[in-house]
Amino acid sequence: MSNTKLGLLVFWPTFWTGFPIKLVFALLLLAAHMHPWEGTGLYLLLLVSIPVDIWALGLCARTVLIDRLKVDPQPGIGLNLWGRWAVFSAVVLPVIAMVVSVVTEAAKSVVASMTESFKEHIFPALPVAEQISLELVMWGSVASVALIVCILGWLYGLGWLAQPFVKNAKPLDGTRDDQADFWDRLRIPADQPLLLTAFTGVGVVLVFIFWGLMPATTPHPHAEYEYTFEKKEVKIVEPKKVLKETEQVLAKAELVVKKLQDEKGENQEKPAAKIETTTEEKQKK
Amino acid sequence: MKEDIQAVNQQNAFEKVVEFVDERVGLKTIQAKMLNEPIPGGSRWAYAFGSVLLFIFILQVVTGILLMFYYVPSTDHAYASTQYIIHEVDYGWFLLSYHFWGSSAMVVMVFAHMSQVFLWGAYKKPRELIWLVGLALFGIVMGFGFTGYLLPWDQRAYWATVVGVEIMDKTPLVGDFLARFLKGGPTPGQMTLSRFFVIHVMVLPAALAGLAGLHIFLFRKAGPAGPFRGTPEEIKAKTDYFFPRQIWKDIVAMATVFLIICSLAFIEPVVLLEQATPDPGDYHPEPEWYFLFLFQLLRLKIFGGQFGQFLGAIAIPGAFMAFLAALPFLDTKPERNIFKRPVALIGWTVIMIFILVFTVSAIINREFLH
Repeated sequence: MSNTKLGLLVFWPTFWTGFPIKLVFALLLLAAHMHPWEGTGLYLLLLVSIPVDIWALGLCARTVLIDRLKVDPQPGIGLNLWGRWAVFSAVVLPVIAMVVSVVTEAAKSVVASMTESFKEHIFPALPVAEQISLELVMWGSVASVALIVCILGWLYGLGWLAQPFVKNAKPLDGTRDDQADFWDRLRIPADQPLLLTAFTGVGVVLVFIFWGLMPATTPHPHAEYEYTFEKKEVKIVEPKKVLKETEQVLAKAELVVKKLQDEKGENQEKPAAKIETTTEEKQKK
Repeated sequence: MKEDIQAVNQQNAFEKVVEFVDERVGLKTIQAKMLNEPIPGGSRWAYAFGSVLLFIFILQVVTGILLMFYYVPSTDHAYASTQYIIHEVDYGWFLLSYHFWGSSAMVVMVFAHMSQVFLWGAYKKPRELIWLVGLALFGIVMGFGFTGYLLPWDQRAYWATVVGVEIMDKTPLVGDFLARFLKGGPTPGQMTLSRFFVIHVMVLPAALAGLAGLHIFLFRKAGPAGPFRGTPEEIKAKTDYFFPRQIWKDIVAMATVFLIICSLAFIEPVVLLEQATPDPGDYHPEPEWYFLFLFQLLRLKIFGGQFGQFLGAIAIPGAFMAFLAALPFLDTKPERNIFKRPVALIGWTVIMIFILVFTVSAIINREFLH
């Protein structure tokens, strides 16, 4: 089996075996208002991830060796392989990140200049939506190829590190059914109800911790959230008071109107009776 | 007879209760039927999508009911009651955010489930009806997303609905009726909100529950398709039962999806925009992320104008759905191995790349507009 294939066969189940456990821990950190992607939260998560990854890598590597290569590895494969892979990844992953980043930026730059040149000389009216999709396909293809090649290289490294364990492993004897039985006996616990009870118990404890840590109500966890809904003050209406106030306002208005009309009458020498009639009509209205 | 009486006397309280229920309901028969389903070729992670979908749906129902205790489906109170849920109700922000991300998870899972069935060739004879009912369920899930989007009654909700209903209006024959029926007036208002609410909480859940039941019944009737590689003898030799290995895989997959939804609810909780108004202001209307690729497609020059919009929004997606419905009857060859079906493999890959490119393009376009 090639190094890349062996690396992929070991890495894929290892990731999915450890991921749910790490996710549980990350969720508990979130519930406790601690971000698992920065500061103390990140350090705690990384700390928890180490034993989880050692266990998951050991389990999955052993599974692959027994199931696909028909050999049973020496005990301690999880810790040994994890140690080597951790050192290898500590060197290779930053290099991969840098290579992919440089290639992506270069591709974006080249594609942008190509598009500008295309717009300048051939098709000046290139619409925005078309331009975005064309540019994305061009630089995205280059970046994707770079990323895939780098990841395959990283998996090749894992396969290469796992090969000595394959060579030193004990070949499995017997028929296919015997081998299947052997593997079944290894992974199915003798006391299934005990396992199920322990599993359920851990789940219940985690649920209690989760709801205990989580804030019951406000503050809303999103720091940038603007609370736009404001509670309106409830005004108690007292009919007598409102009527009295309205009557006062009307009386004041009447006086103002009368004064204005008096002034107008003096200027134009019109009879006062006409003004009174008009005020009465207004009151009726 | 004496031994039977002795055996009954030796049972503990729990066993006696189980025995009592079993005599009347046939519990052990149901249990045996559900758990002892043979899985040709053994259990696989790829078979977990259907169970995960059912699990997400159940939790959507639970969180939806809890939200309904506080939500008021009127244009005067929908926005305020949603804000109330976010800020005043105990754990309200978490329930709403879980419900929001749960709907996205359902769309992703439906997509993954359909892709798995397509790549495994599991739509072929005798499983054509399972595929057809699955397509209808896909439509219902999309309907859930569309109708639920309006309910918070903020600018995003209002304008996404305006755009969605306008697109629907372009459908020949029934488009005008559907748009008028959904809006209930010239512009989205109380009638629109009431109708979307009723469809979201009454019509679609009932339809989904019924069709999901039919889907599972048809699946159990035809049996699992099994792996697409290996001789019948090899597949038979590896046959496993639903319990315990597939159940274990299903539980782990459900727990993982649940944890991812919870994490998303924490990291990106629901944030409302301004209350809905008929004036978009600076807001650029946009649908939910899983419709973004279609939205971006409609921005292309080729899909400009009345005919272009019809082509991009109705004709092409409609033809694609019709093609998917006809697929089991067009592809009648028994070969299921995806690596021996190059047209299917290339077609699926092209569609995935198309959706990915246009979704990312829409996000870049959004930044460009801002």
